[in-house]
Amino acid sequence: MVTAREEILERLERARPPAAARPAAMPEPSMPIDPMATLRDRLQDAGGSLQFATRSGWTEQIQWPVEATTLRHVYSSLNAMPGRGVGLSSKTNHDLADLDVCVLAAEFVVIENAAAWQRPGCLRERAAALLATHLIVVANATEIVATMHQAYARIAPSDASFGWFLCGPSKTADIEQSLVLGAHGPRTMSLILLSD
Amino acid sequence: MGHRERAREFVADVDRTRWHDQALWFVRSKRDQAADLVPDWEALRDQASAIKRSALTELPELWREFEEHATAAGTVVHWARDAHEHNEIVAGLLRDRSVRHVVKSKSMLTEECGLNSYLEAEGIEVIDTDLGERIVQLRGEPPSHIVMPAIHLQRAEIGELFAKEMGSAPDLDDPTELTDVARRDLRDRFLKAEAGLTGINFAIAETGGFVVVTNEGNADLGTALPGLHIASVGLEKIIPQQKDLAPFLRLLARSATGQAITTYTSHFRGPRPRSTQELHVVIVDNGRSQLLGRPAFREALGCIRCGACLNTCPVYRRSGGHSYSATIPGPIGSVLETSRDPATHAELPHACSLCGSCTDVCPVRIPLHHQLLAWRGELALSGHHPAWRRFSLNLVAWLFVRPTMYRLLGRFARGIGRRLPPTLREDLLPAWTRQRHLPTIPKSSFRELYRERQRQPKRPRPQAQPRPRHERNG
Ligand code: SF4
Repeated sequence: MVTAREEILERLERARPPAAARPAAMPEPSMPIDPMATLRDRLQDAGGSLQFATRSGWTEQIQWPVEATTLRHVYSSLNAMPGRGVGLSSKTNHDLADLDVCVLAAEFVVIENAAAWQRPGCLRERAAALLATHLIVVANATEIVATMHQAYARIAPSDASFGWFLCGPSKTADIEQSLVLGAHGPRTMSLILLSD
Repeated sequence: MGHRERAREFVADVDRTRWHDQALWFVRSKRDQAADLVPDWEALRDQASAIKRSALTELPELWREFEEHATAAGTVVHWARDAHEHNEIVAGLLRDRSVRHVVKSKSMLTEECGLNSYLEAEGIEVIDTDLGERIVQLRGEPPSHIVMPAIHLQRAEIGELFAKEMGSAPDLDDPTELTDVARRDLRDRFLKAEAGLTGINFAIAETGGFVVVTNEGNADLGTALPGLHIASVGLEKIIPQQKDLAPFLRLLARSATGQAITTYTSHFRGPRPRSTQELHVVIVDNGRSQLLGRPAFREALGCIRCGACLNTCPVYRRSGGHSYSATIPGPIGSVLETSRDPATHAELPHACSLCGSCTDVCPVRIPLHHQLLAWRGELALSGHHPAWRRFSLNLVAWLFVRPTMYRLLGRFARGIGRRLPPTLREDLLPAWTRQRHLPTIPKSSFRELYRERQRQPKRPRPQAQPRPRHERNG
């Protein structure tokens, strides 16, 4: 019996259009004159906020989405900021539903759309980033690229089983086109750029 | 009932039609603003369409490459000839693992396959988690738009629905509060689900991975928690290399909603190592290979489902998605659905004014209005036109090859038309003249005017003067 696989490949073979070459790569767009202004605008469009801080004291310098001392449950992928509550002790993803804040380290940020590239270290981290009420993404201010073209030049095709671009809090406009922040995931998102 | 009849029902509510029209035009204008911020926008469209065009010529190689890399990463790859085979594969995976609760993120392919009702018949609960899809699911309707499934509904209707289904206050109509009601309701279902189903926006041959984009995070939440992730993908969704994602992702969200990128752009490549999670990909044909074999229409397979052609279409905006009675409405739907089932959808290529706006906005440059026109021709030849249209077209064709008869009839019509009182004249064409007036009917035809002009003594033509440079460019 012919398998579905064989039959589909055979159908595709029969219908194959005349050859058309893959296009040459397009010229790479350049960095805008004021990258940080563009980044701030794009992140604002997406409902997120941009903050700058220094590497050593950022946890004190930034404006937290809620009073830092009242945070009971924190998940963090950063050494500089230990987890707290269920963020530290959770055994299952489901415990993470009570998370107040999730702090993630991104590898770099794309200026044209304010997207931060992040690879969760484990499945639990991915769940934390979605279940927490507030998301904080931390990146080095020097790790920026102009557009998605340069972004993919930095991502090795065989990198990790999962990676994502994150931009702003989760949102929806499914009810009469009104933008609502906090659809299923975080209600706020801050991008913190660190320098020395 | 065809598109005309259903559209007639929709436009009977004048206020709602205007509201619908404006809601979509608002999205279209956001697309324009976002596109204007990208200096190389047109080059991006060229690039994206060239990648798709070349990918369509090497589908067997690309899918074999995908399969090899996906399998190496621990993903299980399945192949489905048609909708039924797809549904059976998904149901089988769920059955074998005794899954009773499934969360699903937006996937037009699973809509096309009728997966929900198939699984429900097996006693499996399927929850659509995209807010718009959840709304239409609760109403027992199909989505009316491919990106904004509930765009046809007003807030009060959604408030009423939520009051009935989720027990919220009956007069609630604030979008933020309504979204919150749904968020709470769905959170529990996410936590309870044993499997997550998603579509795929782009499958990448080079890595055996794929990309799913959402704003709500529902595809991610639905796949980060349960132990089983099944992703369904149509044969047309493959691109050769990871770096090819750049032009598509730069175009997709901007074309869809005017966002520079969606909130979540997730790259999956196999289940998490050393975890018990399973990842399955179901590759579906369901008529796609057939469309590939039709040179006049195959470019429609390049569609990235951004919805821009719907938002811009004057017919879609004013007739609503449900009037198409097809999984995918709007210009691209009229092409794809007619290809799938010409007998049922023969009227859809006529739900079009041939204004060409869809072709202008399509990020992958699908010549949509040319394809719609080509479909009309094919349907005429294959006898799919209704009798009244066949009759009138035959009449016109008969007349056009008889110049004397044509001229005589023209003179006759002008004579009668000029004598009738204007109001009576317009009453003869009630539908056409509801919102416009007939032009004044001239005394003589173009032919007669031309002949008259030829008889007059020639006047010297004015000498062409070279214009100053700035005027020529302006
Ligand atoms: S045909 Fe073009 S404009 Fe329409 S949904 Fe597909 S990609 Fe978007």
